[in-house]
Amino acid sequence: MPLDALVRPWTRRRMLQALAASGLSVPHLAHALGAASQLDVAELKVDGVSLHRPEAWQRLLFEVIQTTSVEANPAVSTVPPHDPSLFSHPFTVFIGADAISGLDAVAIEQLRRFVSYGGFLLFDDASGARDSAFGRSVRELCRELFPTRPLAPLPGDHSIYRAFFLLDRPVGRVVVSEVLEGVTLGPVTPVVYCPNDLSGALHRGPDGRNRFPVTPGGEWQRREALKLGVNLVMYSLTSNYKHDQAHVAELMQEGKLE
Amino acid sequence: MMDWWLAGLQWGQGAVEWQGSPWVIGCVAAACAVAWALAVLPSRDVKGRTSLRAVEAAAWALALIVVVIAVAEPVQVEEEGREEPGRMVVLVDGSASMGVQQAGVERASRVDEVLGYLRENHAPIDVFTFDEALRSGAPDAYDGRGTDLAAALDAIADRHLGQSLRGVVVVTDGIDLGRLRTDLAVAAEAGALQPDLAASLPGPITLIQVGEEGALDDLSVESVVSGGFAFLRTSFTLTATVRGRPGQSVPVSLGREQRLVEERTVVLGDDGRAEVAFEVTPRQAGRFAWEVSVPIADNDAVPGNNTFPVVVRVVRERTRVLQVSGSPSYDQKFLRLFLKEDPSVDLVSFFILRTREDFGSGWDPDELSLIEFPYERLFTDDLDTFDLVVLQNFNYRPYFSRGRDDLLLNIAEYVRDGGALVMTGGDRSFDLGDYARTPIAEVLPVELGVTGVKTDEAPFRPQLTKAGAVHPLTRLGATDEETQATWKRLAMMDGTNRTLGLADESAALLVHPGLTEGGQPLPVLAVREVGEGRSLALTVDASWRWSFSEAASGRGNQAYLRFWKNALRWLVADPDDRRVVVAPSRENVLLGDSVRLVVNVRDAGYGPVEGARVTGTVIAPSGQAHPVELVTDSAGEAATAFEPSERGAHRVKVSTGPRAADRGETVFAVSNRNPELARIEPDAPFLRNLAAVYGDRGRYIGPSDAVDPLVDDSAARTVPERRELRVSTAPVLGLLFGLLVSIAWFVRRRSGAI
Repeated sequence: MPLDALVRPWTRRRMLQALAASGLSVPHLAHALGAASQLDVAELKVDGVSLHRPEAWQRLLFEVIQTTSVEANPAVSTVPPHDPSLFSHPFTVFIGADAISGLDAVAIEQLRRFVSYGGFLLFDDASGARDSAFGRSVRELCRELFPTRPLAPLPGDHSIYRAFFLLDRPVGRVVVSEVLEGVTLGPVTPVVYCPNDLSGALHRGPDGRNRFPVTPGGEWQRREALKLGVNLVMYSLTSNYKHDQAHVAELMQEGKLE
Repeated sequence: MMDWWLAGLQWGQGAVEWQGSPWVIGCVAAACAVAWALAVLPSRDVKGRTSLRAVEAAAWALALIVVVIAVAEPVQVEEEGREEPGRMVVLVDGSASMGVQQAGVERASRVDEVLGYLRENHAPIDVFTFDEALRSGAPDAYDGRGTDLAAALDAIADRHLGQSLRGVVVVTDGIDLGRLRTDLAVAAEAGALQPDLAASLPGPITLIQVGEEGALDDLSVESVVSGGFAFLRTSFTLTATVRGRPGQSVPVSLGREQRLVEERTVVLGDDGRAEVAFEVTPRQAGRFAWEVSVPIADNDAVPGNNTFPVVVRVVRERTRVLQVSGSPSYDQKFLRLFLKEDPSVDLVSFFILRTREDFGSGWDPDELSLIEFPYERLFTDDLDTFDLVVLQNFNYRPYFSRGRDDLLLNIAEYVRDGGALVMTGGDRSFDLGDYARTPIAEVLPVELGVTGVKTDEAPFRPQLTKAGAVHPLTRLGATDEETQATWKRLAMMDGTNRTLGLADESAALLVHPGLTEGGQPLPVLAVREVGEGRSLALTVDASWRWSFSEAASGRGNQAYLRFWKNALRWLVADPDDRRVVVAPSRENVLLGDSVRLVVNVRDAGYGPVEGARVTGTVIAPSGQAHPVELVTDSAGEAATAFEPSERGAHRVKVSTGPRAADRGETVFAVSNRNPELARIEPDAPFLRNLAAVYGDRGRYIGPSDAVDPLVDDSAARTVPERRELRVSTAPVLGLLFGLLVSIAWFVRRRSGAI
């Protein structure tokens, strides 16, 4: 039986097979050839600006490991934007609530090369406010990185919304915007700005409890935020794969897409 | 000089030409002057009558002048034109269509009858043969490969410019392959048969048709339209036009190099023609010969036109790649981005996003954006549509549970039949993917079956081997040195799958710097030619670092792109992109023509190989093999001429060694089709139209009509004549000389000088 064929109608036999499989399975521990083949998350470190929520990304990576076939390393590291080791972490996030400052030309050039040659950079706005200082500075930074490719709202049929889960809208700790924004270079969107504080919804304390309440949707919204996180990870690895003709046709045939 | 002395003296009509050598004349004149002086001057003091001595001197002088004149060889030349009756020019069609048998008799048999009649009744006649060109005399054989009546008439008009002919007689079946036939047909349809459509002739023209229309029984394949080339895996149409008797039901077959591909039956229309369209979908790139044929009846007028071979060159429009990944990863992501952005690649990706182990995560299937992995269709019906299959960390076991052996065998057979396969490293690849002892293992360039530890996770930098240093796949720089430097600079890998080393007939291009297997460095990048296909094993899963690490240092991702571009090109190598390539000078040749076969030999680095011994055969349709032995020059090229003696597809196979990479082959088609024989029905309307163009100075005579050519009896021509009278040889000169000498001698005696 094809194992990603979960979109077929469920039968009693399939349910029993799935239950049997789940009972036998454990989270898929990454044991590939080395760190290079494993997904991890790096947080950009800009003194006085960036926030750090490694527990949020660990939670996300654990979910990725448990839910998908992606081999991930749930370790989270911090990397200054001018540090060449940035290129060892193709999935990088920048969490902030205040205006970005302190990025010199070296850092900006490295960030430009990073996203131009295959890296994925997520700006997560932890302010929870519309038109935040962080958001404005992200736009300014993107304009500086790619003068002809400004940050723009992603369309509703963007691959991020169907990279693994089918999502109607992107939510985080808050819902101040109904859309994600991004910089699109050719067929891919390597820079994404989430205004809804995704990491805030996923963040947990040492005791394992959620650090922040999620509004207005409560735990349902937190679950949706987790799905968004998984999709972002999956999109960073598969780019526009879900826009390939085979997928679109199949999903439309099954009524999951219009 | 003599003309000056004689002031252009003319005797009667015509002119005098002095043909003696001026030197000889001068010497003789000097000698005569001396002789005259000796004769006239007295030897002693003799007294004589002065008047007689003067007469003697004059006589001697005249006699010697006669001598000089004789030596000067005067010739009297008389030129004039002579009027004669005009001649009749006969043009006989010497093309192959005139040799067609009709009711057991050669069509051209009437030519002798016509020539005999004209010689007897309208002599003198000048006979010319015309086909593609014009030449003097009647045809020796009817084998011309073209008929250009317009050119023949133009040549006759030029040749007789300013003259008039009693007539021009053309003996032909009217199958003209020049422009005249078409021009007249168009003009006749428009009702505009104007004189300027044909050459202006110096006499009336008579067009005598030979061959009865409708008296032939000839079934033929008139034409096959293919376009000359086709795209791989894209259907194209071979449209054949069949000609025969109207209403006839004809089985038409399409074959490819002695094998029947398809047979269709058509009913010929009222015009005796029908089109048959064969849809063909080529599965391989290269040159291939197809042949459309109809049956040959015993009474078929021209058996040679019942088959129409044509060679079609099949080219690859885009490279179709199937990328199957068992787990989304950076390695898969970077390769997909490379393939997706290459406009020459048609990429189909399938990534396994969820495995059995992930089932228990509690998500509702309706929340997921997943589709079924169509592995059965991909690895059965669709497999041949791909040029390259990339298995990236793909675990086949959960998916190939049904028909596992069949599907794996399909992939192996696909490679042997000309497909390409790449397997990259990972925890689902090679022995970790349990590929040992499967059909896949038999086509990989590395041996599987590792027991114990199947990976090594220590970082390492792959080393270029001797073979890798010259192989086009690993050539990352413009020079060998640049290539070596680039590989030494590229990022380290984070581990490798272990294997049992190289498989047979494989080459390691990159090896592990520390690990060995069987005493040899462990291959990291290995390639193999399997049957008609190729395979590549890259035992690491971090080639993406060759892109990202270079980008980090500001060098861009050219090394990574070049590596995979090279790999793509090598893996799906077209026949013209192999190391040994043989190509014919023409793909469709006529029997009797010579075809030039050119062989190019390149080394592993695709540089020319000088002095390579090339052996091979040209295999005729009958199976007869004609050996070929060549040695390449400094450009890696060798050529030979081959004159086929059989009709049909000829396959050429050459090799420089025992391996598949050392072999090259091609095909060319030989037909005995003469364009003249494609349509052999006499064309009376054309001849009638041509006669009409000349109005009352044109006449058409049908095949059954009596030979009664148009003749212009008033036509005449002037024949220039030249008459020469050699005066020096006339007896009168000798007589005159003797008379003058006698007078001089007589006078001398009378004068008392003797």
